[in-house]
Amino acid sequence: MDINTFIAQFISGLSTAMLLFLISSGLTLIFGVVNVLNFAHGSFYLLGTYFAYQLMQLFNNFWVGLLVGAVGAGVVGMAIEFFFLRRIYGRAQEGAFQLLMTFAFILIFDDMVKYIWGTEYKTIPKPASLMGSLNIGSVTVPSYNVFIIITGFLVVIFAWYFLMKTDTGKQVRACSLDRVMLGLLGTNVPMIMTIVFGVATAMGGLAGVLAAPLRTVTPGAGVEFIIDSMIVVVIGGFGNFWGALLGALIIGEVLSFGILWMPELATVLTFIVMIIVLIVKPEGLLAKKAMGRK
Amino acid sequence: MKRTLISLLLIVALVAPLSLLYGAETIKIGALYTMTGRGGQYGKDSEAAIKIALDEVNKQGLPGGAKLEVIITDDKNPQYAVSVAKRYITDEKCKFLFGIISTAIGLAVTEVSKEHKVIFVGTDHAGTDLTANKFQKYYFRSSNNTFQSMMAGAMYLKDELKGWKKIAYIGPDYAYGRDQWMELKWALDKLGVKYEVVGEYWPKLYEPDYTSYITAIMKAAPDVLVNGMWGGDTVAFIKQAKPYGLFNKMKYLHVDAGGNYEVFAALGGDMPEGLILSARHHNNWPDTKENKEYVQKFFKATGRYPTYAAEGAYVGIHMIAEAIRKVGNANDTEALVKALEGMKIKCPEDPPGFTSYIDPKTHQIVQVQAIGVTMKNNKFPPAKYMLGNFKVYPAEKLWPNFEYIEYMTKVKGK
Repeated sequence: MDINTFIAQFISGLSTAMLLFLISSGLTLIFGVVNVLNFAHGSFYLLGTYFAYQLMQLFNNFWVGLLVGAVGAGVVGMAIEFFFLRRIYGRAQEGAFQLLMTFAFILIFDDMVKYIWGTEYKTIPKPASLMGSLNIGSVTVPSYNVFIIITGFLVVIFAWYFLMKTDTGKQVRACSLDRVMLGLLGTNVPMIMTIVFGVATAMGGLAGVLAAPLRTVTPGAGVEFIIDSMIVVVIGGFGNFWGALLGALIIGEVLSFGILWMPELATVLTFIVMIIVLIVKPEGLLAKKAMGRK
Repeated sequence: MKRTLISLLLIVALVAPLSLLYGAETIKIGALYTMTGRGGQYGKDSEAAIKIALDEVNKQGLPGGAKLEVIITDDKNPQYAVSVAKRYITDEKCKFLFGIISTAIGLAVTEVSKEHKVIFVGTDHAGTDLTANKFQKYYFRSSNNTFQSMMAGAMYLKDELKGWKKIAYIGPDYAYGRDQWMELKWALDKLGVKYEVVGEYWPKLYEPDYTSYITAIMKAAPDVLVNGMWGGDTVAFIKQAKPYGLFNKMKYLHVDAGGNYEVFAALGGDMPEGLILSARHHNNWPDTKENKEYVQKFFKATGRYPTYAAEGAYVGIHMIAEAIRKVGNANDTEALVKALEGMKIKCPEDPPGFTSYIDPKTHQIVQVQAIGVTMKNNKFPPAKYMLGNFKVYPAEKLWPNFEYIEYMTKVKGK
């Protein structure tokens, strides 16, 4: 394989990985801190996209759409956590309630989107400044894909700073380890959980808006990512933010080079990787064996 | 569970009480369509077209003042669709099964039709199997199958594109995508075209990210890329491939669903120029009074232009009405089958001098195929491009093809 093919395929994989990371990081953050397996996470991706679409009808500005899409999805996420999910924490069979409730929200949001915006495919154009392509040697890379990759890494840096260097970040990490103890120490744990849910769903919304100029904006689009996001989360370790990054990078690159070398098996490869990880390290690549008390 | 139950009573206000008074029959048609998710647009358009067709049928009248009623349910998946189809027959006493977007669901429901001896008019699913190796006498299709599209595509490749040799294919990894490629290769071989396959790519249906496929295709550097996707997958692929310059480096042929109006509407100004596309119905071809009237009626009713799914549903209702008129009632299924076999039915997509008909041996509608290239056209907003420079392929050269049916039966079984 020549170096140009390698670079082209590697960058393609990176672009795929970053969108996967933006979606699955929110999913894993919610699981790690709030201890909820949010099946409706794809719906926040969907809501972010449609909020951005609506704003762009009014202002025709991608950046306003990006901001409103992410914030809007986050606000809805906080409301869902505050008014609904909070009521099932600690119940017997909480897991089953979580599954039912979050799955119900998938159906509700999907129909809501259909009734408000219709079933036709919508278009969110790229910003004019990111319309073109860059040439790296003889490899062509669309500017917008480069923008997604950079945004993904910026989110990683921001998340690292927030989680590792700020007091709130420390509280979030503590909440993921032992929320009872954190509460006894005087931290407002329910508020932390609502904020984390909001931030995580905002990341889903952000991913939705970022992906929209490349993908199809349509009801049901959010559900399509849940399986891929789950694979990423399983590979990286449930509840592990950095695991989501590693899992997304692995899946993105395996898929990218798999398509080049074994196109017949490309879609199976991600599952093969997941099975290998589950056999070798069932808790996920970056998860600690003991997850701590919740 | 999502269940859309829409009763479309076809009697204008003044006629309805009279029909009831004289005990006019209500003939029920049990329809199944995808009403949610990515395929939801097809279901919605089919529903709108059914209303338009029922209105026309009602104006023309049916024997004994009978009226048609269409029940539509979200088809969801094959198992669910089968249970609804059975309920339509046993509980709702439907005389016809109707619709269906997905070939997989169509294949499941045709077994119900066969078992219960109830006529099933397929309006959108295009898998060739249903009118070939999986043929059963109670199934009829009101839109073309993928073989008709791919045979026309092969003729286009032979006659219109010169100097190409290397070909690659990308299509969804299920029967619809796989069959199109098998059909195109078979047709190219039959036409004596020499070619070299340099890549075959099988993303999953509804794959959101084609970036890595695109760079792999560019590495393979075919002269012609054939695409077998439909709906939003096509939109996403074109959006993602355009900035890589893929369409400047190879010819792009996408003839079963690539030219569906929804693709033009979704891409707007992002649609590249010069792509070779087709669909089962075009809003701007043929330039006949019938097609214009049909498109405008749909636009007036919905505020948008139709996707090809609408025409299949529209024609399907007219087929049923015509069969009932010929037989005089909807109770003699065997007579209805005979009435449908060979039936001539004027469709919006028929060019002057041609009328579509039902092939009596396969029950497949036989239609011309028109393949065009994308060019600027603002007449059907929000689309900014439409197809033009059409090449038209005669219906009889596309279907029936018993040699292919024999081949398909050998490959896929009965």
